[in-house]
Amino acid sequence: MSETKQPVNPTPSEFMDDPVLQNRSRTREFFKKFFQRKTAVVAGCFILFLVIIAIIGPSIAPYDPAAYDYSAIRSGPTAQHLMGTDEFGRDVFSRLLAGARLSLGSALAAVIVGAALGTILGILAGYYGGILEALVMRSSDVLFAMPDILLCIAIVAIIGPGLINVIIAVTVFTIPSFARIMRSATLSVKGSLYVEVARSLGCPDSRILIKHIFPGTVQSMIVNFTMRIGSAILAASSLSFLGFGADVSAPEWGAMLSSGRNYIGVADHLILFPGLIIFLTVLAFNLFGDGLRDTLDPKVK
Amino acid sequence: MYESEVTEMMKKRVPALMLASAIALSAAGCSGGNQPSSGSAAPSTSGTPSSTATAPDKDLVVAFNTDIQSMDPHNTTDTLSITVSRTMYESLVTFDENQKVVPLLAESYTAESDNLTYTFKLRQGVKFHDGTDFNADAVIANYERCLADTTLRQNSRVAKWESCTKVDDYTVAIKLKEPNSSFINQFTQFQIVSPKALEEGTDLNKAEAGTGQYTFKEHTEGDHVTVVPYADYWGTKATVDSLTFRAVPEDGSRVAMLQTGEADYIYPMPTVQADQVNGTDNITVGSVASNIMRYVTLNTNLPELSDKRVRQAMNYAIDKQAYAQVVFSGYCEEVLSCYPSTVSYYAPQTPYTYDLDKAKSLMEEAGYGDGFSLTLWGDNISAEQTGMQFIMQQLAQIGITVEVLPMEPSTLSDMIYVDEDQAEINMWYVNWSASSFDADGSMRSILHSDMVPPKSANTAYFRNSEFDSLLDQAIKTSDTDTLTDLYAQAQAIVWDEAPWLFLGNDELVYGAKTYVSGIVLNPDGSVNVTNATLA
Repeated sequence: MSETKQPVNPTPSEFMDDPVLQNRSRTREFFKKFFQRKTAVVAGCFILFLVIIAIIGPSIAPYDPAAYDYSAIRSGPTAQHLMGTDEFGRDVFSRLLAGARLSLGSALAAVIVGAALGTILGILAGYYGGILEALVMRSSDVLFAMPDILLCIAIVAIIGPGLINVIIAVTVFTIPSFARIMRSATLSVKGSLYVEVARSLGCPDSRILIKHIFPGTVQSMIVNFTMRIGSAILAASSLSFLGFGADVSAPEWGAMLSSGRNYIGVADHLILFPGLIIFLTVLAFNLFGDGLRDTLDPKVK
Repeated sequence: MYESEVTEMMKKRVPALMLASAIALSAAGCSGGNQPSSGSAAPSTSGTPSSTATAPDKDLVVAFNTDIQSMDPHNTTDTLSITVSRTMYESLVTFDENQKVVPLLAESYTAESDNLTYTFKLRQGVKFHDGTDFNADAVIANYERCLADTTLRQNSRVAKWESCTKVDDYTVAIKLKEPNSSFINQFTQFQIVSPKALEEGTDLNKAEAGTGQYTFKEHTEGDHVTVVPYADYWGTKATVDSLTFRAVPEDGSRVAMLQTGEADYIYPMPTVQADQVNGTDNITVGSVASNIMRYVTLNTNLPELSDKRVRQAMNYAIDKQAYAQVVFSGYCEEVLSCYPSTVSYYAPQTPYTYDLDKAKSLMEEAGYGDGFSLTLWGDNISAEQTGMQFIMQQLAQIGITVEVLPMEPSTLSDMIYVDEDQAEINMWYVNWSASSFDADGSMRSILHSDMVPPKSANTAYFRNSEFDSLLDQAIKTSDTDTLTDLYAQAQAIVWDEAPWLFLGNDELVYGAKTYVSGIVLNPDGSVNVTNATLA
C-alpha cells in the first residue's frame, strides 16, 4: 500500500498543486472507489489472510508438516486431521499451511524480480528508444510467442530442477509483460508537459526517469503485478506438479497435488485440498488485480 | 549389455501428466468410487456384460501399460514383447509354473557330463504357421541368424555357443565354449522362427512365422496386436476366437476398461486401487511374487559408507513392513537375501529386523553418532519418489540427512555410468530383475567387482574377492548341490556386508474378469496367455 502515497496519476495541471494535500485526497478517493468493488475487497481480504498464513502458518499448524505416521496413511478428513492425511500419514492441513510460504513466497519473489527487471528495461526502452528499444521489445516478442508454461519447462530443463530455478524460470517469463507495459506507459508520460519542463530546467536523465517518469507509470505496474502473481503461482505449482520444482518432500502445493494424483479415486482429499487452495489463490489475485485496474483506470467510472 | 536384465532395469516410463489430466482423472476416479453401488443395481438391467459372470464374446482383450516394442522373438527386450511373442513362437524348452525348465518344441533333452554339450530331441510333425516343417534345420537356421546379426538381443547368448549341429533330422546338439550353468534357463528365451520367413527376410513385426498356438493377425503400432488361433497347432488348441494385446499406459484408463468389460484382463493393476476394485463388477484381483528386487545401493567408496557397521545400521533403521504398506499398498514381500525367493538357489538370511536402538548403537560404534548427509538418486516416476521419501524419513531416525533427487531416467543413467574417479553417486533407489531367474544373473552385473560403472551396475562399488570367486566358480559348475552351497555362501557375504539397503520384493498385481481363466502371470511380469479360456 506504500505505493499509493505516490501521486498515482499526475497530470501537468496537478504538477503545481500542493503535493501533500494532493496525496491525501487521492488516497482517500482511491479507497473510496476500491471499496465499492466488493469482489475485489473480498479477494483482497483473502490475499491478506494468505499472507498472514504464510508468515505464521507453521506455528499455528496442528502437526509438524513433515511428521509421518505409517499407521494412518491416506485417511480421509477427520476431527484430528481436518483435511485427512497423505500417503505417508502426514497431516494435509498442516502441510497446506506450511506450503503457503513456499508457494506464495516463490511466486512473489519471481514476480518482484521480474517486475523490477521488466520495469527498468521497459522505462529505458520507452525513454531512450532506438536500438535499445528495438532490442528489448523484439526480445519480449520472442518470449511472448511461447506459451508461459512451455517457456518455464524449457528454462528449467536447461538449468535443472529446484525451487530457486523455478523462481528464475517464472521471473524470465514475467519480464516481457512488464517491459511492454512499462514502455507504453513511459511513452505516454514522456510527452507530458512536466517532463519537458524538467528536461528544460536541465534535470539529468536519471532524475527525470526516477522522479518524473517512474511515478507516472507506477499504476500500470501495480495492476500488472497483482495479475502476474496469479499466473506465477500457477506456473510454479505446475512445474512442481511436473516434478521440476520444489523438493519432492516439500509441502509445496503443486508438489502435493502431484503426489496426490496417484491416489485419485482412493483418497480424493489428497488432490481436492491442494487443488482448491491453488484455485482460490489464483482467483483471488486475479479478482484483486481486476479491482485495482478498474479503480486506477480513469476511463472506468 | 552383459545380460538382458540391464535394460530391464532402466525400462521405465515417465508419465507426462498435466494438471488438466489430473482434473479429468479426478472425475474418472469419482465414477470409479460409485461403481460398486451401480454394480449391485446392475442385475435388474440384465443384458449388460458386467451384470453377469459370463463372457460377452470369445474375443479376449488383455491390456498392458506399455506398447509392444518388437515382435521379433530374437529381439524382444521387454516383458510385454515376450508375452506377445510367446503366443506365436515357441522355444525348445520352457519354464513351467514352478520356474522349472521343461521341454516344449523338444521332446526331451540331455546334458553331457562335461557341462558343454546339450542334446535336444525334437518334436515331430510340427508345422510353422507358413506351412514349413519344423526340424533340426529350422533350429540351425535360427542359430545362424542370431549369430550373424549382432543387433539382435539373442546374439550375445548364441555367441557363447561353440556350435549348433544337426545330429539327425530331429536331433540337435549345442556345444558351449565354456560351461555355463545359466545356459538352459536362458535357452528358454530362444524361440524358433520359420526358416522360410528368415530366408525371405519377412518383417517379423507382421509375420505368420511361428509354431505357436496363435498366429499373427494385425498390429497397429502404439495401440494393439491381435493374434488368432492356429488351426494346425500341434498341442492343445486355443479356445478363444482372438486374442488382443492393448497398450493402455494410463492406470486409470486401464482400470476403467476392466470395469466396463472393454478389457478382460489388465496388468499391472495399480496397487492403490487393487483393494477397492476387487470383488466389484465381476473383477478379481490377484498377485504373484515377482523376480523384482527393490534395494538402495550404498556407495562403499564413501568414507561414511565404507564402514560395514554404518551400512548394517542403515538396514536396521528401515521398517520393511511399513515400506510395503506405504509404497506398494501391501503388495510387497520382505526379502531375506540380495535376490527374491522366485530366483533359483535363494538362501534366506537372518533378517535385519527394524530396530532403532541397535541401529543407533552401531552408528555410535562406527563414530557417526551425530549422523551425516547423503544424496539419494532415483527415477522421477511417482512410485519411485514415494519410496525415496520413505527412505529419507527412515534414515532421518538415525541422524542421516538424506536429500532426495529424483531424475529423468536418461539423465540419471548418464550420471551413474561414469568412470569411478568421477562418480558422484551416494545412494541409488533402484530395482533389478533377472529375467532368466538364475542366481548368477541376479548378482553378477550388480555386485561383482568387475561390474562397477561404467561397465555395469555395481553402483555400490562392492568389491569382495571371496564373493567374486564364489560366483566365478559357480558359473562353471552344474552340480545342483555344489551350486546351492556356492550361491548360499555368496548370498551370506552380500547380506552381511550389506552394500545395499534390502527393501523388498514386489508382488505383481493383475485384475481379471471372473469369467477369464487360464492366464498365468509370471514372476518376471510376462503373462502366459496361451491356455486362456473365456467361460
